[in-house]
Amino acid sequence: MTVEATGTADPVESGPGAYRAEVRRLLGTGWRFAGLYASAGGTVVRTLLTAADGSTRLIGVAAGTAPVPSIVDLVPAAGWDEREAVDLYGVAFAGHEPMRPLVDHGPLERWTVPVDGHDAYQIAVGPIHAGVIESGHFRFHVVGDRILHLDARLFYKHRGLEKAAEGQPVQRGMAYAVRACAGCAVANAVAYAHACEQALGLVPEPELARVRTVLLELERVWNHLNDIAAVCAGVGLAAGNTRFAGLTERARRLNAAVGGHRFLFGTVRVGGSDLSAGTGQVAAARTELAALHREAAASWRELRFNISLQDRLPGVGIVTAPDALRLGATGPAARAAGLAQDVRTCSPRLAYRGFAPVAADPAGGDVKARFEQRAVELWQSFALLDALLDRPLHPATAGPAGVPEPIGIARVESPRGATTCAVELDGGRLARLHLRTGSYANWPVVAYAAAGNLLPDFPLINKSFELCYACTDR
Amino acid sequence: MITLLRDLRRLRRQLRLPRPDRGRSLAVRHVDAGSCNGCEHELTLAASPYHDLARYGLGIVASPRHADVLLVTGAVTTRMREPLLTAYAAMPEPRRVAALGDCALGLVLLGTPYNLVGAVDSVLPVDVQIPGCPPGPDRIAAALLRLIDGPPG
Repeated sequence: MTVEATGTADPVESGPGAYRAEVRRLLGTGWRFAGLYASAGGTVVRTLLTAADGSTRLIGVAAGTAPVPSIVDLVPAAGWDEREAVDLYGVAFAGHEPMRPLVDHGPLERWTVPVDGHDAYQIAVGPIHAGVIESGHFRFHVVGDRILHLDARLFYKHRGLEKAAEGQPVQRGMAYAVRACAGCAVANAVAYAHACEQALGLVPEPELARVRTVLLELERVWNHLNDIAAVCAGVGLAAGNTRFAGLTERARRLNAAVGGHRFLFGTVRVGGSDLSAGTGQVAAARTELAALHREAAASWRELRFNISLQDRLPGVGIVTAPDALRLGATGPAARAAGLAQDVRTCSPRLAYRGFAPVAADPAGGDVKARFEQRAVELWQSFALLDALLDRPLHPATAGPAGVPEPIGIARVESPRGATTCAVELDGGRLARLHLRTGSYANWPVVAYAAAGNLLPDFPLINKSFELCYACTDR
Repeated sequence: MITLLRDLRRLRRQLRLPRPDRGRSLAVRHVDAGSCNGCEHELTLAASPYHDLARYGLGIVASPRHADVLLVTGAVTTRMREPLLTAYAAMPEPRRVAALGDCALGLVLLGTPYNLVGAVDSVLPVDVQIPGCPPGPDRIAAALLRLIDGPPG
C-alpha cells in the first residue's frame, strides 16, 4: 500500500491489508470519502479522502495481481466508484457482493436488485424520456403507486472521455473536462485546471482566482434558476416554470456578454486566463445581475404563496442528515439535509475568503428543502458576484509557487456539489484523467430518496436534485 | 400566481415577439444520443418566453408516435444506437431527422471508438443539420422552421 498525501513528495509505504485499515482510521477521525479510481491500466486503485479544512489524502493500493479489499462496508458512497473500476479497468474487489455492473449493461438480473412479494412489479422508464431530458434508464419496483426500490441504469451516454484523454497534452485535455457536461462546464474546467496546475507546481495569482470565481458563480446562477424552473415544471406549474426559464435565458445571455459563450465554454485554461472585461462591461453585468436578483426574488415570493405548488413539496423524497452523510450526498442536496459542507469554504485557489455555507430553513432533506436551498444559494451567489465584479476583469496567470507532483487533485463546488478532478501526468501529457462530479456522487442518493414515495412524485424528486447524466456518464 | 401571470404578460409585451404567419405545425421528438446536455438546455429554453417555439406551431411531443421530426443531439454512443433506431422505427411517415449540434454533425467526436458510433448520419438519414456548440434557441427554431416553410429534404 502507498499513502500518497498530496503535498508530500515521498509516498509512504505500508504493508498489505493496511489500505482498508488506513481508510477506516481516517474515516473514524472525521475524514470523508471523496472518490476512488483505478490508475491507467488498472494497476493501482486510489481512494481520495478529504478533511473539513480541505486537505486531501490519496491512498493507493496495488490492484494488478490480487483483489483489492472493498471499502463499501466502511463507506457506502464508494459503491459506484468500485463498480466503475471493475467495468472500465478490470479491477477485482474482494468483499463487494453482489458486484453489479455500472457502466456495462449486462442482462437485467445482473444489475437489478431482486424485489419480490405480493403485487410487486417493475416499471421500466427510458433510456429515452418523454421530454427534453438526457438519456438514462430507471427501473422502478412498485406496488400500486408506491415505489419499493429504484435501480438507476445510467451510462447510456458513456463516451469514454477519460480514456480518450489519456496521452493528450495537458491543454488539449481541457476539452474532455468541458465537454463532459455543459451544465457544469465551468466547475469541471476549473477542477481540471486546478488539478493540472497542482501537478505542474503552479498557483493562481489573485486576479486569476477572482476571474474563475466569477465564472463559477455565473454558472451557479443560471443552474439554480434552471433548477427552480424544473421543480415548477415537475408539479405542472407552467407560470413558475416559464418565469424562471425566462430568467435562465437572461442569465445565459449574461454569460455570453461576460465570457463570450452562453455556457462559458472556452473561458478556462490551464495556467491562466485570457478573459478581460472593461469597466463598462463589468458595470453592465452588475446591473443585469441586480435586475435578475430583484425579479427572481419577486417571482420566488409568488411561488412561496402558491398553495398548489407548496402542497406538493414537504415530506417528499426525504434524505436525512445521517443518510446524506452515509451515501455521500453533496452540494445543495447535502446542505438541504442539514450537512453544512461546501467546498467553497476551503478553496484557497479561488476568491471565496470568508465564505460560509447557507442552508434552507428547515433543512429537512425533502423536496421542499432542496427547492428552497436553490433560492438561498442564489441570493448568496448574487451577493458574491456583486462584490467580485466591483472592478474590471484582467488576463491573469498561475505562477510557479509550488512543487510539481505526479498526481494533481482538485475539488470545486459545482452547482450540484463537490466535483473532484484527479490528473496523473507523464511528461506534460495526461496518463490519467478522472472526474467525479457532484451529479455522480448524488445519483445513488436520488435512488434512495425515491424509495417509499409515490411514483407520480418521482419526477419531482428527480428535479429537486436536477442532476446531469452527461458528467456522470462521461 | 396572478402577479406571476401578469408579470409574464408584461414580459411578452416588452419582448414584442413577431406573430408567426404560418398555418402549419410540426411535432418534434427529441432524442439525446450522447450529448453534453448543452443542446438540451438550449432546446428547453427555445420554449421559454424569449423564443416561444409554440407560436410557430413547433411543439415537443412525448412519443415518436406523435412526431414529424426526430431531433437528435450528441454523437451517437454505442449504448444509444439501438434506442435511437427504435425511436425512429416508431415514427409514422412522413418523418424527418434533424441533427442538433456539432457533436450530432460529427464535428466534435470526443471519446473512444469503442464507445462512439459517430455522427447521427452514420445511423439515420439526416434531413436538417443544425450546427453550433450548442446552437442557441433562436438558431434551433430557425432551422426547424425550414422544415415547415421549405420543401422537405
